[in-house]
Amino acid sequence: MGEIVIGLALIALGLVIYFQSTDFPALSEVHLDAGSFPQLVAVLLILLSLLLVIKKVFELMRSKSTGEQPSAGERFREFYWEYRLVILTLLVFLVYIFIIQFIGFVVSTIAFIIFTGLLVGSRAKKDILVISIVSVAVTLGTYFFFENVLNVRFPSGIFF
Amino acid sequence: MMDLFILGIAEVFQWRILLIILVGVIVGILAGLIPGFTVAMAIVLTLPLTFGMDPVSGVAAMIGVFVGGMSGGLITAALLGIPGTPSSIATTFDAYPMAQNGEPGKALSIGIWASFLSSIISFVLLVSIAPQISRFALMMGPWEMFSLIVVSLTIIASVTGDSIVKGLIAGLFGILIATVGADPISGISRFSFDLQTLRAGIPFLVVLIGMFAISRLLVSLERKEMDKDDAKRAEEKLKDVQFVLRPIQTMLIVLKKPGTLFGSSAIGAIIGAIPGAGGSIANIVAYDQAKKWSKNPEKFGTGCEEGVIASEAGNNSTVGGDLIPTVALGIPGSAVTAVLLSALMVHGITPGPLLIVNEPNVVGGIFFAFLVASFWMLITQFLGMRYFMKVTQVPVQVLVPVILVLCVVGTFVLNNRFTDLYILIVMGFIGYLFTKYDFSLAPAIIGVILGPIAEVNLRRAVMADPEWTLFLTRPISLTFLVLAVLSILFTVWQNYRTNYRLKKNIS
Repeated sequence: MGEIVIGLALIALGLVIYFQSTDFPALSEVHLDAGSFPQLVAVLLILLSLLLVIKKVFELMRSKSTGEQPSAGERFREFYWEYRLVILTLLVFLVYIFIIQFIGFVVSTIAFIIFTGLLVGSRAKKDILVISIVSVAVTLGTYFFFENVLNVRFPSGIFF
Repeated sequence: MMDLFILGIAEVFQWRILLIILVGVIVGILAGLIPGFTVAMAIVLTLPLTFGMDPVSGVAAMIGVFVGGMSGGLITAALLGIPGTPSSIATTFDAYPMAQNGEPGKALSIGIWASFLSSIISFVLLVSIAPQISRFALMMGPWEMFSLIVVSLTIIASVTGDSIVKGLIAGLFGILIATVGADPISGISRFSFDLQTLRAGIPFLVVLIGMFAISRLLVSLERKEMDKDDAKRAEEKLKDVQFVLRPIQTMLIVLKKPGTLFGSSAIGAIIGAIPGAGGSIANIVAYDQAKKWSKNPEKFGTGCEEGVIASEAGNNSTVGGDLIPTVALGIPGSAVTAVLLSALMVHGITPGPLLIVNEPNVVGGIFFAFLVASFWMLITQFLGMRYFMKVTQVPVQVLVPVILVLCVVGTFVLNNRFTDLYILIVMGFIGYLFTKYDFSLAPAIIGVILGPIAEVNLRRAVMADPEWTLFLTRPISLTFLVLAVLSILFTVWQNYRTNYRLKKNIS
């Protein structure tokens, strides 16, 4: 099922690339311009994705006849149970990336490590202590290493 | 040839660089050890640290990580029966039973010696073969380079992942990622969709960090993986293995099996040189071949010495093999060497057949960094084994956020742009979807790095002579294209055959 969706998405991508590539300005080159190579790749991608989709649809049709599918609610609950942490971590990560430019690297990183650590692992007192120490050590360690040794300026934000 | 050596020795044998390689080796061993932390991840995260260094020290650091990582998986494989990296799966077959039979020290030291000696063998192969290949490659025109890239991509697609269609799709997807941004010949901006961020293209490194580090972390957060991890940890706590390493005696044991050692190292080096195939495949193939050629194959799997030697020699010698096409042709054999090449590009060095001629000190440095790293690996493994074992206990809840932060830092350091961080998260998610549905990541990554080179060569070829049949009439180019077609047909045929057998077995 997932493969079919991916395949269709890739076909769509291939089409977008293909049609975008037709209206690049052509310079003096007569034979291949800026759009030719992407077009070639896009065509190959579309063909192969079609092949994949067709193959998977056949497989799906063959397996459909056997066995009952569990209800949508059930499936969703199972899905959520399995991927809860993946989704939540991605969301927290996105928020972290977003706020880093406003409140600075140091504060947001410490907060991110502690928050994700507690989200993923246990919330026993000892673990909270461990993750807090790790977060401060890692953050300050990378901050000073990059600022002083490699001369990279991190975003400072409103606090530091 | 000699001046390569002299330059390399002069570059590498300085206290600072020797120290950098040592640190790299230790980091690599730790990365190989910790389940969920792969060697590719470690290399990707080392890269930003090397921006401030000169090219040779940067590359030396990464080779240290590579060599260390290949041998790091040995410890968990032998003592716990869990491969710390995919490259040590076959190591568990014999090293673990040997440890169970009360000889954990022997299993570990045989493994270390096999890793070390096979690295040396593959070093010899590397320095003797790579310059010849690059001399040959200098005769190739844009037609040949384009065909060579086509064949590399089809081979990668056919050896990795579960179906060649998916492998090829992943490779093409990688090429498309690389077409975003300025066109390499005329500089016209492509596919930026009027986003300022995409105008300069999608940085290769961000794609790498996203696809290799972030996607891997996301996989380890799935419920199934978390449960598996908990079970492993519970098991580990029960074991407090005591062992004695006997370096001299075990060295003699390994040297007494020269057939297995040389055979497995050669297999490892050849597999390493094939684009896309790396330690994980070499490890198993070398083990399998050693079993076939052995006088007493029934002993394999019960803790026999040859099994340990074959598997560890197989995965460590891929490092040397992997460096052959990387140095000689500028075509990376694996994700790890792809990072190595991008490190060179960051320093303004163009990889390709001209590398040995133009930058002999860098190439010599790569060669000798590999040799030095092998020695450091031997020494640190024997001296530090006890301490390394403790590290397998880093819990996921610490590992995941810390590595995510390192990914952010690595990405940010590259261009000092916030928008790259969004590209990072998108690439991480795409990489996760890819692994979820068994599209292998290696072709995508190699596609990103080889795509622009393929395009430049294709257009140069057509500019030089609009006759496209030249791709088929120039003999070397034709050979490469025939190989590409054969690699696809062979995989399809092989799949068909295994499916046929499966059906036969069921009915």
